[in-house]
Amino acid sequence: MSSAGDTADQSLTSTISVPIGGFATASREGSLRTFLGSCVGLAVYERRLKLAGLAHVVLPTAPAKSPLPGKYADSAVPALIAALTSLAAGRRLQLTARLVGGAKMFAFQTGPTVGEQNVQALEKALSLAGIPVVSRDCGGGKGRRMTLEAANGQITIETLGSEPKYL
Amino acid sequence: MSGTPLNRYLTACRSAASLASDSLSKWLGRPSAISIEQVEAMPLEKAIGLLGDHEGTVCGCGMAISGSLQGILVLLCDDQAGLALAAMLLGREPSDDDTWGDLEQSAVVETTNIIGCAYLNAMADSTGADTAAMPSPPWFLRDFAPAVMQSIVMAQPLTGETVFLTRTEFTIEGSPARVSLVFVPAEDASERLPGAPA
Repeated sequence: MSSAGDTADQSLTSTISVPIGGFATASREGSLRTFLGSCVGLAVYERRLKLAGLAHVVLPTAPAKSPLPGKYADSAVPALIAALTSLAAGRRLQLTARLVGGAKMFAFQTGPTVGEQNVQALEKALSLAGIPVVSRDCGGGKGRRMTLEAANGQITIETLGSEPKYL
Repeated sequence: MSGTPLNRYLTACRSAASLASDSLSKWLGRPSAISIEQVEAMPLEKAIGLLGDHEGTVCGCGMAISGSLQGILVLLCDDQAGLALAAMLLGREPSDDDTWGDLEQSAVVETTNIIGCAYLNAMADSTGADTAAMPSPPWFLRDFAPAVMQSIVMAQPLTGETVFLTRTEFTIEGSPARVSLVFVPAEDASERLPGAPA
């Protein structure tokens, strides 16, 4: 199993850094981490099987052929479902999703930002896939460090100058 | 992107960097230079990763540009380099403390304003743009490096997969200052900026 690039699959105990536009999965004691500014982190979790997936979404819509499915809202959702389905090895998945990021860090930005468009596109893609969004921490003006634990599904969100937040 | 437009754009960038160097030297009261390090169209993910694997904090002083050179111009530095620059301007010895007070922020913001405006006006003149570049007042932010880069690259509406980026580096009294000025023109800048690569 690889742990870098656009599709990194998992590990048992280590923390995998999910790159910009990439996605990865983790199980057991593994965890997934990414940094978010205006990009959006899509966390998908299977509580019973302790399987976690995280995509670092940059843009709402994928072009016809993209080598980076995790980069786009509409391709990240099926890519994560496929990766987690493979890890589940035939067991039925009951997935939930959480969304983090999409900050507007610059005061001059007006109108809908790419981050807001990404959130909308992810909500649409998740709805089509029948995956409920159970919580979110989106918008605001600060960057975030997001860590998803496969063991319990907890998401830790760190921002500079503030106490960590948990989803 | 063909060679000729890129060469014209590079010439304009170098001319702008030269004039901005003069402004920086006057502003700091010591010999300084700004050199063009990178002029490149690159995939979004590469541009966002411009600072490499750096996961610490960076400071950014940014200006939104409208008019002939629509885009975003940001002065980037780490805490140590930014505070050293501020100390120089405030006539103090650099301290080991990495705390940004109002005075330090103000010093770096004003540097961005002076150097950025010199750079942009020279770019507009060099490229024969028919209207001036109009910068917003600069703002200061300090955050995780990857988050800052994401927001710089994606601050404007995006439809494509690539971003065109110009990066300069500062040298003060012959030593690298670890301060960069990054300019990201809007996607359709080539329509308003003769010589800019499409």
